[in-house]
Amino acid sequence: MNILIVEDNKELAAEVFDFLSNTGYVCKIVHNCSDALEDVNSNDYDAMLLDLGLPDGDGFEVLKAVRKTKSKMAVIVITARGELDDRINGLHLGADDYLTKPFALTELSARLFAVIRRMHGFTLNDLLVHGFSLQLQDYKVSYSDIPINLTKKEFDIFQYLVLNKNRVITRLQLTEHIWGDILEVNSDSNFIDVHVRNLRKKLDKHTDIGWFETVRNVGYRINE
Amino acid sequence: MAIFNALTRLLVILVLWLMLPILVENVVYSHINNGLLEKKKKFIDHLNQEEINDFIENSGDSTETYSQFSTLHSEFLVLSKVPVKPRQKETTFSNDYRVIEGEENEYRILQYHFTYEKEGYQLEIGSDLSEVNDLTFIIRLFIIIVLVIILLVTFLADTVYIEYLLKPFYNIIDTKIRRVNEPETFDHTPIKAKSSDFMELDLVLNQMMDRIGELFKKEKQFISNVSHELLTPIALLKNKLENLLQNDSLDDNAVDKIASSLKTLDMLKKIINNLLLISRIENNQYTTEEEIHFYEIITDMQEDLQDRIEDKQIEFLNIMKHDFSFKGNKTLIHILIYNLITNAIKYNTPKGKITITDGFSDKHYFISIADSGIGMDPSQIGKIFSRFTRINSDQDGQGLGLTIADSIANFHHIEIKVTSVISEGTTFTLLFPETAKN
Repeated sequence: MNILIVEDNKELAAEVFDFLSNTGYVCKIVHNCSDALEDVNSNDYDAMLLDLGLPDGDGFEVLKAVRKTKSKMAVIVITARGELDDRINGLHLGADDYLTKPFALTELSARLFAVIRRMHGFTLNDLLVHGFSLQLQDYKVSYSDIPINLTKKEFDIFQYLVLNKNRVITRLQLTEHIWGDILEVNSDSNFIDVHVRNLRKKLDKHTDIGWFETVRNVGYRINE
Repeated sequence: MAIFNALTRLLVILVLWLMLPILVENVVYSHINNGLLEKKKKFIDHLNQEEINDFIENSGDSTETYSQFSTLHSEFLVLSKVPVKPRQKETTFSNDYRVIEGEENEYRILQYHFTYEKEGYQLEIGSDLSEVNDLTFIIRLFIIIVLVIILLVTFLADTVYIEYLLKPFYNIIDTKIRRVNEPETFDHTPIKAKSSDFMELDLVLNQMMDRIGELFKKEKQFISNVSHELLTPIALLKNKLENLLQNDSLDDNAVDKIASSLKTLDMLKKIINNLLLISRIENNQYTTEEEIHFYEIITDMQEDLQDRIEDKQIEFLNIMKHDFSFKGNKTLIHILIYNLITNAIKYNTPKGKITITDGFSDKHYFISIADSGIGMDPSQIGKIFSRFTRINSDQDGQGLGLTIADSIANFHHIEIKVTSVISEGTTFTLLFPETAKN
């Protein structure tokens, strides 16, 4: 999943970036309001970490702009102020959660998991689909308690399709959310098909996966 | 400046010094000539036959010559009888040597031919030149000393004065022009100058910089406007089409069309993003303060691209030996290496090879990315860095990858060298500036 980090403190931003990248997110950092606005206008992010005190304006402005669009992006407001008004205001404007500086990176990732799954209508951190269970925190998939060994990319694809179940996800969307904002024009998406083929093979060993649908020429869909 | 002045002065002095003998001689000779003419006039005026006879007979020798000279041989007068020659010039001046009483001296000599009672006579009046020559030499010496002194004094004065006068000028060049890379960092404080010219120059420079700064700002504004105005509708359309795809009542034909529209939109978005990236790089909108470790970047990238490498069954060999670090922009360097490696994958043959090597050549660190792909001929190599060129029209992509690579390399003062052999492969070499440290 891809995440936009809006944070003017470059060190903190880089720290969060490294941590979340290692956790498996595709991240991008911007340092000010205008870049953030520009970025959310043209890219589809799964989540945004938004610092409120930015050099060229208030983070609330970015939040307002995002919520004016139809984007379902999850927004976690990060504030150094920690004041009650800020937190309430943020939630009123459509933030999904907030964190007060300083925060533990593990708490950040836990909250991120939580807002993302809630956003997609899941109540538990373990995503359940047709007998498969995906544990978001530790990248594990199991079928009735038998662990399934997936590569990171396979897990990411499976997770993204499960989160967006009942929707056709195009190959382009998969590249954007799992490989990140590739600048390459018309990068051939064969490699996605390879991952999906391997994923399906591994899942197919356990049960019939007719619900894992390939939409011809377009992409994939997991039906429930 | 002062040196130039001194040189021109030296030239003038040299010319003067060379012309001096001629000038002095002219003046001295005309002075002597006048004296000689006057003497001749006095002599001729008092002349009559008796006197001539007196002169000539008194001498009593067969040459019929009369001569008379001053005690120190500084002047002499000779009258002699010569045959009459028609069309002889009456008065001539010349320099010649004469021996008088066993002493040879150089004389300025006036020769005058005249006839008196049908007899031809030649009168010679001479004036000694040795004194004059001595005098000329002294004058030349004196003048040369004076001129050299003047030269030295004016040179010193010039140096000091020009230094003083031009101080604000160098100040302006240093603070207002040389140190300015971006209009935003321009220092507007006026520079103190004694002369109004430099204050004017300073003022005009400030105004010019303001205008350039304004244009810079406008361009940045334009870039950000374009990105906003173009990318927002694209994002909107993309969203709508993606939602449309969820509609189960669509037939295959409609789904195909939507899918291909989405692809076109994606292409459009990426082209815009790429062009924006190029103009941002060229506008110096990126900082270069991050420490970049190339070995790390390339191993990470190999991991990221593993699926694509495997998909084409390419053998990826990373035999870098150095952990070279470099100050630059991490995002940009990442894009640069990414573009080169994905190109190496894209234009490779199945089961081909990509080899990454590094080393030092002539103190410059280099990284080479070599593929065993289709290769290019020299005319193609010349074009690959310009916008929207592709080697084959049936290739994917829009031909911006290498343009971006080139912009990023330029931005970091990295040189990209390309060597290629058709159907053997292409090698891209990044040559780093000397300032980079190992």
